[in-house]
Amino acid sequence: MVMPYVLVIIVFVVFLLISNIVMSFTNSKGELTLENYISIFKDNVFYKTILNTSIWVFGSVSGQILLGLCVALLLNQITRGQIFFRSVILILPWATLDIVAGVMWKWMYNDMYGVLNDILVKMGLFKDYIPWLATPKMAMLAVIIANIWKGFCLSGMFFLAGIQTIPQELYEAAEIDGANAFGRFWNVTIPQLKPVLTTTLMLTVIWTINYFPLIYVMTGGGPNYGTETIVTYIYRLSFRFLEYNKAAALSNVLFLLVFTIAYLFTRKMAREVAA
Amino acid sequence: MKKSVLSIVLIVIAVLSFGKTLTIWVGGQVAELDETWNSVIKGFEQKYGIKVEVQLFGFDTYYDKLVTALQAGKGPDLAFADLGGWVPTFAEKGWLEPMEEQLKNWEGTPQIWPNLWPTVTYKGVRYGLPWYTDCRLLLYNKTMFEQAGLDPNDPPKTWSELLTAAQKITDAKNRVYGYGVSGTKTEHTTLGYMMFLYAAGGKLLTDDYSRAAFNTPEGLKALKFYTDLAKSYAVSPNAIQYHEDDYRNMMAQNRVAMSIGGPWSFPLIEAANPKIVGKYSVALHPYDSQPASVLGGWALVIPRTSPNKEDAWKLAAYLTSFDVWMKWVEEKGGPMPTRMDVCTKSKLANDPKWQVIFKTFPYAVARPPIPQYPQVSEQIQIMVQRVLLNELTPEEAIKVAAENVNKILGAK
Repeated sequence: MVMPYVLVIIVFVVFLLISNIVMSFTNSKGELTLENYISIFKDNVFYKTILNTSIWVFGSVSGQILLGLCVALLLNQITRGQIFFRSVILILPWATLDIVAGVMWKWMYNDMYGVLNDILVKMGLFKDYIPWLATPKMAMLAVIIANIWKGFCLSGMFFLAGIQTIPQELYEAAEIDGANAFGRFWNVTIPQLKPVLTTTLMLTVIWTINYFPLIYVMTGGGPNYGTETIVTYIYRLSFRFLEYNKAAALSNVLFLLVFTIAYLFTRKMAREVAA
Repeated sequence: MKKSVLSIVLIVIAVLSFGKTLTIWVGGQVAELDETWNSVIKGFEQKYGIKVEVQLFGFDTYYDKLVTALQAGKGPDLAFADLGGWVPTFAEKGWLEPMEEQLKNWEGTPQIWPNLWPTVTYKGVRYGLPWYTDCRLLLYNKTMFEQAGLDPNDPPKTWSELLTAAQKITDAKNRVYGYGVSGTKTEHTTLGYMMFLYAAGGKLLTDDYSRAAFNTPEGLKALKFYTDLAKSYAVSPNAIQYHEDDYRNMMAQNRVAMSIGGPWSFPLIEAANPKIVGKYSVALHPYDSQPASVLGGWALVIPRTSPNKEDAWKLAAYLTSFDVWMKWVEEKGGPMPTRMDVCTKSKLANDPKWQVIFKTFPYAVARPPIPQYPQVSEQIQIMVQRVLLNELTPEEAIKVAAENVNKILGAK
């Protein structure tokens, strides 16, 4: 009964992985070579994309986790209309198509018609419209904000599920011991949530590294190389420049990176369970 | 025995009927005209008795789709390819069937505009049949000209006239601008810079495409003027974020008075604002030392893996025949045919907008038809962006870009 699954895995995972590895070590004539890897490490854009990916992942993940946690705590307090609030707040951004979300945020940031600028100016926070996507730093901030909106729901949903499994007695015991609301949060909720936190952190980190449509739609990796991450660069190499071998090599570098992150997280989790 | 005969017959029938269906992939703007395609294809099916399946793709997804299919050897029998460097790029990968033999014997070959052939040639061999074309012009809004006290029938002809007109129209406080400078990290920016580069008497690459040729006083002058329109003179919306398609929509709303456009803009600007009919026009784009334009368009190519190459050529020749093109133009009024005889004999010859186009077309240059073109184009985009972002001076940016382009082309 295991055979079909093994076959599917071999066809769709192992075969593709191996063909990608073979491709990364050959040149366009089919000869074995290391030049794809050498050209990546000689390429200045590669180091720029590593830096950008780090900023993108750090900003997006910390924002998503924090916002997700806040929303989960708040939603946990609501007793009436649970289903309505949960579906609106948690499902809506998550269920929006990537491309739709990208186009929507691009229009919201627009500096001639954008609704965001309009609101900020009417609130008196800014004197004039600001061109959100016009400089590399602002563009990075803008895509991170959009990605936090797009992704906080998933961590929120995990956290909400985690919070609801915490036994009520723990809070009661803490209250008897004289812990205030913050103390209860810090000493009961957070330690109890830790396994969920670690898993969520690992998943969001990996997803954010590999997440591509939002940046592609909003900035296309620009201005200059301001928002070019490793994945947008791989896309550009293979689909714009048709440099399949170099793109394959870069994909393998990315695969190793993601694999290492996943390995470190799982090892940490396994140790915690053992302890 | 009976069973095996039956199955062989069935297989033969299956193979034959399968082999008689031609697939054609249509991308770009003409892909939106599905009804016209149906009637044109029906004519072919009746004439040759070959079934044709037409698949239409929007421009945004078409390139990825086609490249993936060709790479996998699963392409159609006949496909549209953009004249902006796709044909030589695909030919270098060995994905296309040469068309040299068929073109030599075909009646229509001498009728194709001669400046189109380099766009489908790789190493001296022609791999495509140009089907429709266009050239870039100045698209402008007559209402905004009138409001600023300018003559709507006398658009600017030189760079200094362009600047004066744009400054008169610009009212930055109310977000009204004279000219739209494309500065996004897309092909539009390269095309915009090329318009100014050739108008200053410069060139993108040397004639044999072996190295950069824009690092000259003319190239620098073009880069400075192009970026200054947005930076120092501030007659354009924030250039980093917009390109000519955005400006066309702003023009439909009377926000931007001039930008680069062409024959393809007419239906699109009228779709954005139906009231603008008759209130916009085109002219030769303002120039510095010589009139200039960049041509674009689409060619028909036959993928090497197609099992029906002969029929595919029949379809390509049929689509590019005089009769089919005349019918197309009578019904649709565009796009611009690659056949000179259709241009002079159809109703287009009497339309003033099309007269401007036919007059400009001989000045139009093609983008370098080389496989490395996408990388070269990216360097131009980054050069313009670095100047717009004040990261580099025009002198530094053009030097860096030329060095990178030479590296890409393998020049010493």
